[in-house]
Amino acid sequence: MSSRNPSYTSPNPCKHLADYKLKHGLNGYNLIQNYIKISPHGRTMIHKCKSETPICSFCSGYKGRLYICLICSSVSCCLSPDSNHALFHAQSQDGHEIAVDMERAELYCCICCDQVYDPDFDKAVMCKHILRLPRTENGFVGYCLRSSKRKRLSFGVDLNSKDAKRLVSMRDHRSKSCFPLGLRGLNNLGNTCFMNSVLQALLHAPPLRNYFLSDHHNHETCRKRSSERLCLPCDIDVIFSAVFSGDRNPYSPAQFLYSWWQHSEDLACYEQQDAHEFFISILDRIHEKEGKARNTIKENGDCQCIAHRVFSGMLRSDVTCMTCGFTSTTYDPCVDISLDLNTNTPSSTNLANKSIKLAENTGTTTLAGCLDLFTRPEKLGSDQKFFCQNCQERQDSLKQMSIRRLPSVLCLHVKRFEHSPIKKMSRKIDRHLQFPFSLDMSPYLSSSIVRKRFGNRIFAFEGDESDISTDFEVFAVVTHSGMLESGHYVTYLRLKNQWYKCDDAWITEVDKEVVRASQSYLIYYVQKVLSHQVSEDLSCVPVSPRGDAFVPIAGCC
Amino acid sequence: MSLPNDDNLSSHSQLSSHIFSDLLDSIIVDVASECHRIARLGLDRNLEEEEEELRLSAQARARVADPSNSGETNSKYVVDIFGQNHPPVASEVFECMNCGRSIMAGRFAPHLEKCMGKGRKARLKATRSSTAAQNRYSRGSPVSAYSPYSTSTSVNRLSNGTPSVAGEEYSNGTLEEP
Repeated sequence: MSSRNPSYTSPNPCKHLADYKLKHGLNGYNLIQNYIKISPHGRTMIHKCKSETPICSFCSGYKGRLYICLICSSVSCCLSPDSNHALFHAQSQDGHEIAVDMERAELYCCICCDQVYDPDFDKAVMCKHILRLPRTENGFVGYCLRSSKRKRLSFGVDLNSKDAKRLVSMRDHRSKSCFPLGLRGLNNLGNTCFMNSVLQALLHAPPLRNYFLSDHHNHETCRKRSSERLCLPCDIDVIFSAVFSGDRNPYSPAQFLYSWWQHSEDLACYEQQDAHEFFISILDRIHEKEGKARNTIKENGDCQCIAHRVFSGMLRSDVTCMTCGFTSTTYDPCVDISLDLNTNTPSSTNLANKSIKLAENTGTTTLAGCLDLFTRPEKLGSDQKFFCQNCQERQDSLKQMSIRRLPSVLCLHVKRFEHSPIKKMSRKIDRHLQFPFSLDMSPYLSSSIVRKRFGNRIFAFEGDESDISTDFEVFAVVTHSGMLESGHYVTYLRLKNQWYKCDDAWITEVDKEVVRASQSYLIYYVQKVLSHQVSEDLSCVPVSPRGDAFVPIAGCC
Repeated sequence: MSLPNDDNLSSHSQLSSHIFSDLLDSIIVDVASECHRIARLGLDRNLEEEEEELRLSAQARARVADPSNSGETNSKYVVDIFGQNHPPVASEVFECMNCGRSIMAGRFAPHLEKCMGKGRKARLKATRSSTAAQNRYSRGSPVSAYSPYSTSTSVNRLSNGTPSVAGEEYSNGTLEEP
């Protein structure tokens, strides 16, 4: 998967635009700025005269596309193929090649008969947007001018692959060596497949695996230090040790279950339960325990417990008043993203999105479609009118979600249920969801979404400077089969590009196709830079687990 | 003021037809302009890759659905990759950490529930707050109460109606009594 630059590429100008810039610089842009008119919905137009409709200076017509010349401000129409007065104007007046489309405020080269682009023009348009917008609650945070030079911080990768290899191989003493380490069945203790399936995914989340395998939470030293006897991270550490020990007999996570039930009163019962709920519960318990044990809050408020360091991202929610355009932005942390299934209702707001149309035509629901649905502007119902600070009253509003910061491990939760308020019952949606093995999350970032809202102008938006790469690789898929009330969870793990099915105690090899065709419920992606999907040669290096050969890993996941 | 007659009607409908087609043209060019910018700036996703993914997905589903494909048998009766066989109900025996008795792995959870006093009967006896009741789920439901953020589509919750055992079973068909 190509690592797509989350930002834009500035296209090369045509000869005419280049000549224009040399001669006139920004003068024309600054003048046209006065004519820019912005609707509350954010649509940018050119309005020459407030009281008249614009007409073509040649034919006095108002039909077709109207262009305003950057040199002389005369308006010409284009009704190709019948007539093209804009071309006429450019041909008859030397140097008058560049005009602006009045409907959308886009630069147009009348000789090339094509839309052209100039970052300086876009900047002029954006300045108008910024000046005209009512202040957001956070000031101009969302829309401030920044230099387009982007910092590229190298993300502190937890362990490079050599260290990881050593870590993973050192515990292998008795393994049947042709299979990767850490592959071990988990016994079903009685309706506990929901637990086993999530545990398998967590056992193979690279940053989490590396953390526990490098003894960052040692269950022996922890119990001695801590007065409390309950420590879920310790129990998790025990499972890691057991699963990566090389013993291939299925392991019974009984102590873990006991411990979890002691921690989670409300979920402690012998019943089939929801895997996603279990996943969230575990992260909460780890956070509670680690939050107390160390000083885990950094200055910027980010929790440094392992659960959050691995899974926590940040969501941005923008609520825009449809009357005046005032936008209120809030940020919320999240440890996963719950997605509604994108069912086949064609959306009129998605005209420019080719892939949605493609999928809908073939009748498939795709992960990209669900993510698009998640980040789509949504009109809040009339019962949810938002109090606009600018208008000082409740107005109809649009809400749009986007991702401000991606986590190292991204858990996508597919909401496979629908509730019918009429029948007062819920049912499971068995519809198949297509998901890619390599996922590029850049279209769903706040920077991309905000940029799109402003017409994709070439402009450095806040959040363009991203430390984290947007390329992800899948490593675990938790699937559900059966009904809402009773069913079975199975996890597919991807290790060294081979897929394994983990069905409680049974580990089997499966084809990619089986995974593609499965009914995914929780899909776990890890940042590509942290995944080790290339084939590695795990030669056993006899290194003592706590020996000096270990590079102390400070501040990593 | 003449009454509307056929001529007037047809010129009216012609006029509205013209206006409509002008509006439509305008919208079409708007969309074209938007797509042009997206394409030129390289903001569109890689369409070929997406088409390939869809193709692979359709192919996979067809192969898996094909009955002639041996595909996946119920894996509870197969040998795993390490060459091992396992009984449908896990037979490993260990000591319960709550009471010390020897319990078979596959029956550990129901035992523990009673052992810890968290059984269904124990719950019915205890007084429950309304929030605790809301958080409890009916079995096996892929439903989550832990919405990390609120969206306008509210989180679906199933009310746990009757805490009955009817229909509670493993997927491999054994019916377990708690």
